[in-house]
Amino acid sequence: MEVLRIEGLSKVFGSGRLEVRALEEINLSVSAGDLVALLGPSGSGKTTLLLCTSLILDPTAGKIVFDSQTIFQKNGWSGGVDIRRLRREKMGFIFQSHNLIPFLNARQNVLFPLSLVGTKGESADNRVMELLEYMEITERADYLPALLSGGEQQRVAIARALANNPRLILADEPTASLDTVRGKKVMELLKKIAKENQSAVIVVTHDVRMIEGFDHVYQLKDGRLNLG
Amino acid sequence: MDLAIYDLKIHKWRFIATIIGVCLLFAVVLSFNGIYRGFLLEGLSFIKTTNPDLWVVERDRGGPINEQSILPEFYHYNVAAIAGVAQASPLIYYPVERKIMGKKRRFAIVGYDVFGGLGGPQDIVAGHGIDQAHYEMVAHQKLGVKVGEMVRLGLHTYRVVGLTSQGSDVDGEPLVYLSLPDAQEVLFQRDNEEIRNQRERLWQNLTRSVGLSKSEADKYLARLLPDTHLINAVVVKLAPGADVGAVSRQIQKWLYLSVYTTDQQINLMLQGRLAKPKAQTVLFRIILFIVSMVIISLVIYTFTMEKIRSIAVMKLIGAPNWVIIRMVLEESLLLTCSSFLFGLILISNTYQLFPRRVILLPGDHVTTFLIALLGAILASGLGLRQALKTEPALALGGH
Repeated sequence: MEVLRIEGLSKVFGSGRLEVRALEEINLSVSAGDLVALLGPSGSGKTTLLLCTSLILDPTAGKIVFDSQTIFQKNGWSGGVDIRRLRREKMGFIFQSHNLIPFLNARQNVLFPLSLVGTKGESADNRVMELLEYMEITERADYLPALLSGGEQQRVAIARALANNPRLILADEPTASLDTVRGKKVMELLKKIAKENQSAVIVVTHDVRMIEGFDHVYQLKDGRLNLG
Repeated sequence: MDLAIYDLKIHKWRFIATIIGVCLLFAVVLSFNGIYRGFLLEGLSFIKTTNPDLWVVERDRGGPINEQSILPEFYHYNVAAIAGVAQASPLIYYPVERKIMGKKRRFAIVGYDVFGGLGGPQDIVAGHGIDQAHYEMVAHQKLGVKVGEMVRLGLHTYRVVGLTSQGSDVDGEPLVYLSLPDAQEVLFQRDNEEIRNQRERLWQNLTRSVGLSKSEADKYLARLLPDTHLINAVVVKLAPGADVGAVSRQIQKWLYLSVYTTDQQINLMLQGRLAKPKAQTVLFRIILFIVSMVIISLVIYTFTMEKIRSIAVMKLIGAPNWVIIRMVLEESLLLTCSSFLFGLILISNTYQLFPRRVILLPGDHVTTFLIALLGAILASGLGLRQALKTEPALALGGH
């Protein structure tokens, strides 16, 4: 089942002599359970594509269909679509620098997205513990992020991204701040999540060593997307 | 999920240090509320304690408290003769600094007709009122004397026969009640040596310059010596049903004196002697309050700026704006409420140590607290603006 379809997506920054064409006619389709890698050097447009896919940045042209709903087309964002609600209910985010909320412990960081969708009490606590067990980090549940290692922080971040059973997980350089061994472990986890949770996972990375076993690998170069 | 509480738990020492600083500022604001109230109470205390229907003073003077007023003592007979006046009594009010029990003390002397006249002490808490024409005094308990003690004032010694708890002079100093002739003697009677010198000077003038004989000079000398039978005001009690305006006009027209009701005396003080200190106190309260709000604003701004990346993450994962607004506002309100509470506790336990009277009123506390709450909401505006402006895209990318 198709989770995300991007058609003819372009993004242009500035105008006239200062115009920068960050993305050109991007077409991409991701289905449930797909593990997709976006490769590309710095400045190739990876983050811009991720921002447009996250519904944060307005594309200049094109169409975004998410979970069978047209979110963006040439006239702009579709009326009646609560983009933040879509993000909190149907998307999960994993960041390069983990981005855990520093004043919340591991358990609370995972609880936060659940609280945003109104999951409270025992069901929320059970879900948090289930995710922390899945990430094998239960014993560090009450630790603040500053007291966790990089790998542990990333596992908590993945647990947080999974909290609301997202249809789409967007991971921005999730292994960039980890050593190779820990990075590979994180990638293994993402593969497992894609298959077991039937979530579509898009991973932006510039490290080709990390994309072994991915379903689709795309190369971004000068704003154009090619099958890798 | 209460994000503000979790954040403050992590930064608890900084939060506590900020609370201590802001609490001290609030304590000063609250103390100034009390100082303002005390200052007005003391400034108007003598007028309100005496509280006659009319104050008759020297023409075109705003006396006897806001401005000096001197009248011959016998004027009270003239005032008493005006239709509608039930009783008119002479009154002296004079702030002085004298040695009491070996220590220099400031106080105000009130001289009144001790045999049924108006203007005497109102609330005697120990001993009794003045019964004799001379050498007895009633003092405010703040003066620190006891009933039965002997106090030297000028040429004579006075026995403390009673203590009162009411009334103070404009500067908050205690009142000392004396009989009218005693007060006149303490205030207007000069040193014996000075009197002898003046008498000799006058006698020499009369015999040498004017050319009077020695017996004629002796005869006129007494008349030429300065009169000490002076008062500062006549206080009046009106007859039942008498018209205040009509009686005032009669006194002004026929006796060439100025007349004020007690309310007018209060207004004279508020617009005169008390006006600038009052304005200064109000201004100082406002400045302190603004300083408190600026500090809260800066603290909240700093707290928010430190969380800006977390706020971007929250927005990216779909947190609605109210979650972020609630977090910033809660921190601001917690800081303000805690600081206010500790400030209130501090001032409530220390206000007695102030040299002048501090009157803490619950109404003032509530008003200040409500203004502080409003201020806290406004103060968090800077942080909120920054938080709401934060782009979720900030969460993506490296450190």
